[in-house]
Amino acid sequence: MNIRNNFCWSLEKGDLLPVLLMTPAMLLIAGVMVMPLGFGFFLSFFDFSFGGFSILDDFAGLQNYARILGDATARRSILNTLLFSAGAITLEFVIGTIIAVLLFHLSRLAGALIRPLITIPLLISPIVVGLIWRYIYDPQGILYWFLGLFGLSIAHFPGVTAASTALLSTVIAHSWEVVPFVVIVLTAGLVSIPTELYEAAYMDGAGEFNIFWRITFPLLKDVYMVLLLISGVDTIKIFDIIYSLTGGGPNNSTISISMYAFNQAFMQTNMSYAMTLSVFALVVTFAVFGIPFVRRNRVRSHG
Amino acid sequence: MHKGRRYLRGLNFLIIAVLLILTLVPVYVIVSNSFRETLAIKRMPPELFFKPTLIHFQRLIQRDNFLKYFLNSIIISVSVTVTTIGLGTLCAYALKLFVSRLGERLSNIMLLGKLVPSITILIPLFLMLNRVRLTGTYFGPILAHSAMGLPFVTWLMASFVRDIPREILESARVEGATRMRTFYKVIFPMLTPAIASAVILVMQFSWNELMFSLQLTNIHTYPLTVGIARYVGAVSVDWGKSSVAATIAMVPIIAIGFFMQKYLVAGMTAGAVKS
Repeated sequence: MNIRNNFCWSLEKGDLLPVLLMTPAMLLIAGVMVMPLGFGFFLSFFDFSFGGFSILDDFAGLQNYARILGDATARRSILNTLLFSAGAITLEFVIGTIIAVLLFHLSRLAGALIRPLITIPLLISPIVVGLIWRYIYDPQGILYWFLGLFGLSIAHFPGVTAASTALLSTVIAHSWEVVPFVVIVLTAGLVSIPTELYEAAYMDGAGEFNIFWRITFPLLKDVYMVLLLISGVDTIKIFDIIYSLTGGGPNNSTISISMYAFNQAFMQTNMSYAMTLSVFALVVTFAVFGIPFVRRNRVRSHG
Repeated sequence: MHKGRRYLRGLNFLIIAVLLILTLVPVYVIVSNSFRETLAIKRMPPELFFKPTLIHFQRLIQRDNFLKYFLNSIIISVSVTVTTIGLGTLCAYALKLFVSRLGERLSNIMLLGKLVPSITILIPLFLMLNRVRLTGTYFGPILAHSAMGLPFVTWLMASFVRDIPREILESARVEGATRMRTFYKVIFPMLTPAIASAVILVMQFSWNELMFSLQLTNIHTYPLTVGIARYVGAVSVDWGKSSVAATIAMVPIIAIGFFMQKYLVAGMTAGAVKS
């Protein structure tokens, strides 16, 4: 009995070729991702510091996890990460949408010239983006010179120097880097909308804004969902740009979960506690984004 | 493409101009600061015309050994790219060879790899590599970057392989080709645009990656990102040096990205919108 398949060569029993081809990739992922994850998860139940003798010395059960609840910095880092995520996503979406729509209305030539320029921030390492924005936010720097032209000073917007505005400043810097991605993806979505819809709307005398809100926006919902997933996951993991721009300060106002875990592991050598925080971050990410992620892809590949 | 009204055209133009300024001016200022004397850097606003100097470059290359970091970045990024593309395309082909939906399901599950925070893998990986004395070598970042990039590359390749029409594969089989031969002669060439997209995306990821590189390398194997990270720790930044460092880190990958713009965009949208 032949195994039914949707490919031309029938798959005999004991056919090793697909397995053989998959093995190197699977080995790499298993060895460098899955195994460390398992080990790390195991580690989070112990009390291990780097330099200690053996991990199995101090079993701590759920102690580390309970510690998170009582740890003010941990709570702060969670709050910061959520705020960062919400702020960045909002800003990216709003600005990205405006730009995508505007670019879409340009002539082909202009679009072809401008779009490559817009993608430049995307290619820059987050740590360099942090450096660039550190330069911009410098009290003697370019932003405050510019604000000075309008009579504003650092007192009006303390930027990265004050705990109240530091997180917003990092959100702005991150959005600067990521908006091109939103623009590119939205543009791809815009391109797939049939022009007859627009023509009909114009003939009925609809205004630009109405056209966007009633026609374009609803048709882009799927694209926005995908962007929400991707941006959400990216911002929860945020580390590089905060490390570079503020280092977590001032006063822990910008420290993210990843950054706190990193500091615990490599500055304080509390490996187990750091792992607990990391597992927490992983679980939250999967819990919030895991199911939509898989479901979206399954639907698409059936379509 | 429909016609807009005239005032909207003007507004459109203005906003796009502002956008271009906001996007390009910061990058331009940093790059030009690499060539400015320290005193000139401090002057606000930055002058458009200035006397260029190479002193910062000199200092960075001679005293801080920055060219070594550049070389390390290249070694790591290229190795990661070769590894992920090689393993990923083979794996994607294997998934295609599987009985019906299993291959598809596996490649979708692979996408979950993108949800894992780097720190969750870094800590145990660091401990494991430390045990076998591999920290500080190129192996750490290469393995880590490859493992992080492989799920996405495999998924990307798998979705492109799936799009190859059956007729082409049928005709190859009818002509007596084995499966591997079909891969080399038929599938691989057709995957070239997908591979190009994967190349630019993975190279950009590895070149710009910080966390794994920061902890898994030592002074001989630091890539550029780590070199820069050591400058940002300071309270007062030496802008001349930092600007050169940033320029060296930015310019190569931006140039490659520019060159492969089409594939960059295709790769990004494949992950989001499929036509």
